[in-house]
Amino acid sequence: MAEQKVELFARNLDHGVQKAVRSNSAAGTEKRYSVLGNDYTAPDDLRRLAGQIRQHAIEHLDTYLEQAEQSLKRQGAHVHYAVTAEDACRAVSDILQKAGAKKVVKSKSMISEEIHLNDHLGSVGIESVETDLGEYIIQIDGDHPSHIVKPIIHKNRRDIARSFEREGLGDYNDDPETITRRARVFMRDKYLQADAGITGANFVSAEGGRLVLVTNEGNSRFCLAAPKIHIALVGIEKVIPSDAELAVLLNLLGRSATGQQLTVYTEFINGPARTDRPSGPREMHVIFVDNERSKILASDCREILRCIRCGACLNVCPVYRQASGHAYRSVYPGPVGAVLSPLLAGKNFKQLADLPKASSLCGACNEVCPVDIPIPDLLLKLRNRGHEEHAPSPGTPPMGAFAKLASSPMLWRFAMKSNKVMNLVPLEKLPLPYLQPWLKTRTLPEWRGGEFRTWMKDRRKK
Amino acid sequence: MTQSPARPTSRTVQLMATCLCDAFFDSVAKATVEVLEHAGCEVEFPENQTCCGQPAFNCGDWPASREVMRHTARVFEGDKPVIVPSGSCAAMLFHGAPLEFEKEKDLPTVKRLANRTWELADFLVNGLGIEKWPGRFPARIAFHRACHTRGTGSGDAALKLLQSIDGLEVIPFGEAEQCCGFGGTFSVSFPHVSSSMGCLKLEHMTAGHPDFIVSGDMSCLMHLGGLAERGGQPVKTLHFAQILQTALHRHG
Amino acid sequence: MSTAREQILSSVRAALAPLPERTPRPVFSKDAAEPQWLAAEADSIALFQKRAEATGTKCFTDIESCAAWLRSQGVHTVYIPAPLTRLASLCAEFCKVTSEYTRACVNEIDAAFTPAAGAIAESGTIILSDKSTPDRLAALAPWHHIALVSRAEIHRTIADALSAMPDDPNLIWVTGPSKTADVEGILIQGVHGPGAQACLIL
Repeated sequence: MAEQKVELFARNLDHGVQKAVRSNSAAGTEKRYSVLGNDYTAPDDLRRLAGQIRQHAIEHLDTYLEQAEQSLKRQGAHVHYAVTAEDACRAVSDILQKAGAKKVVKSKSMISEEIHLNDHLGSVGIESVETDLGEYIIQIDGDHPSHIVKPIIHKNRRDIARSFEREGLGDYNDDPETITRRARVFMRDKYLQADAGITGANFVSAEGGRLVLVTNEGNSRFCLAAPKIHIALVGIEKVIPSDAELAVLLNLLGRSATGQQLTVYTEFINGPARTDRPSGPREMHVIFVDNERSKILASDCREILRCIRCGACLNVCPVYRQASGHAYRSVYPGPVGAVLSPLLAGKNFKQLADLPKASSLCGACNEVCPVDIPIPDLLLKLRNRGHEEHAPSPGTPPMGAFAKLASSPMLWRFAMKSNKVMNLVPLEKLPLPYLQPWLKTRTLPEWRGGEFRTWMKDRRKK
Repeated sequence: MTQSPARPTSRTVQLMATCLCDAFFDSVAKATVEVLEHAGCEVEFPENQTCCGQPAFNCGDWPASREVMRHTARVFEGDKPVIVPSGSCAAMLFHGAPLEFEKEKDLPTVKRLANRTWELADFLVNGLGIEKWPGRFPARIAFHRACHTRGTGSGDAALKLLQSIDGLEVIPFGEAEQCCGFGGTFSVSFPHVSSSMGCLKLEHMTAGHPDFIVSGDMSCLMHLGGLAERGGQPVKTLHFAQILQTALHRHG
Repeated sequence: MSTAREQILSSVRAALAPLPERTPRPVFSKDAAEPQWLAAEADSIALFQKRAEATGTKCFTDIESCAAWLRSQGVHTVYIPAPLTRLASLCAEFCKVTSEYTRACVNEIDAAFTPAAGAIAESGTIILSDKSTPDRLAALAPWHHIALVSRAEIHRTIADALSAMPDDPNLIWVTGPSKTADVEGILIQGVHGPGAQACLIL
């Protein structure tokens, strides 16, 4: 029988990788629970408030997007719009080519992964260096991040040491501190030589026209220290009403992502550096990217646009812990990815329609989500959409016969009793394709169909 | 998960036994009846009940699931509380059904059923106001809060009653928020992931050597018990209602 | 042909138009996200020190102990803005002192003092702005960065700081030293920015 792709990936996953992903994720979840529990008497109320803030923002995107644009322009930033991933890539390279920029430093941004920006810049002869340590390692390995916050959770120090040796960053040395120091020295020159810095944005406050960027490494700050041009790629859904909402969102983002009250560097940018100031990019471009987001906004899964990319749902997800991020075959793994990736795929929805099935629907993702996204409900809605569009779903039993049986009480009662025959035959021999995967690792209890009904009837007679 | 806070608490209740109890676990359904009767309820069992429709709902076949749910809504017509000895099936009635009927004309019908539906422990504690359960059950148990009771009153309610039973000790275990790996049809379409999740759950739950592994959902227990047995290290599982029932029998 | 801007805005409007009602903007109090332990902390300055130390930022309240720390760290070249003459003379006893920050000496200067635009007690955060910082690199490139924080400019909470954002195109909140846990989840300080973050409260 054909297998679900996530199942297949998990089954073949290297044991060491699986163990690393699981223990790292479990530690992240523990930390998140303990920090939020310690700091708040009612963390769930705060999550619901944050969810309402984000839901309000996306349901008023028409207002806030224009307001953000006006605020940013007023402060001297150039604002661009890109409908598709290709448009966004082209917008970036157009700006760079116009300025004669050849070298770019990039801080981590999920949307740049989403649009495959580095490949595009490479194809037009622009050097783009990822500066986040994990993302840099991903780049030199030609790999893909497997976690939103911890991109190389699937790699160990030996893998990294070999990559650094190959790239000429020194002899083989797998000491994490040495690896980090070498990256520091290497990046230093890249920062100082770069013509432009490319970042994403965690939030955009519409009223203040402020981009908010958070990092722990300080690489985004470096990208905006020496270069003359700043380009920010921003998904249109990142807009929030004002700075006041940040008090709620920032307090939840750091705690949910890494168990920190605040991420080390929280940067607020509302325009290019002023001419009377000694440093900072004098030219700032903000590119608002749609790439299917307005279609998601129109769908009944719009709540996923609340997401603030903390990665807490990945950490807590038992399926992610077993399968790791690459199992999701897309930029966004884990529960959020199982919703977002098929939606971002647009007309290729069916190619990723199996992802929403890769969940036991346990709801842990919703329980930890800082913006209270009803992820299980969205997974279910997408399963329904997959069914409507006849997306392939190996291993999923057809439900027509079940529905007939469960809507006909006489048939049901008959089946309950007659199935007792199962107790008399070796189950492993039964030609029931959906029973066999169960029996491989589990036993089935004795069939006692109808026993309760008889007992209940007798009891009523007494 | 949403759940109506103002649900009826009349003493005459309708039992939805669930398809798993119908097929395998008559002892749990019986225990539920005895527990409810001890709590002063008159228990009705609508004979035409079948299933809550969750398998089809989770598979994405919502038309099939709605067909079953429409049948269920007809079977459980009226205004009496509907009691379900399963967090998962209860959640299908009060949360899943309104979701799959969002765009249907008969949404009000399933909403009315949703607003009368209670998971057993939730009903005993938050519906009937029972704070302490009589009797005795000298044992150490590990209690798995079934995933579908997240965000509802069930988990706390079950723990409250269990901890009130004389002689019963509920022992803590690691990664308590993690799923057992059952997930309905997930367990057959993702057998490796599902079993690996279950083995981890068993590892955590048995670490403190409890006498029983307990939950309010037979689906979790069927999966965990089946895994343990196939793995050659069987565990004893009990439904929450069976503990309450046994405690009563040992009342004196 | 419509521009990308018009195309996106019109599809956003079209997406939202059918909604029977839209989620209202939630009203919440300024202290909505304050941690529960905050109320017990009466003294904001003491709280700032406690929280800063907890996140890895060393706090000094006098220039002598700050200079002594730099000496113990084996600092070679320290950047000190011109007006801080007493600090400069203290540091001159054990290292090279410069009051000029230029690109040429980015890798030479291994300690730098820059004035902060404020601080946040609740989170132990230092606030830097373009206005107060001679060069963004000065507060970032050296291994040791010491922010000069004025007592009067310490905000009590994150919400307070957000409601009093200075007029500057670039503000950065620094909560501890630069760090990463990318390699096997092991915490390493000083990835790109300062490996030793400190502040001198004046």
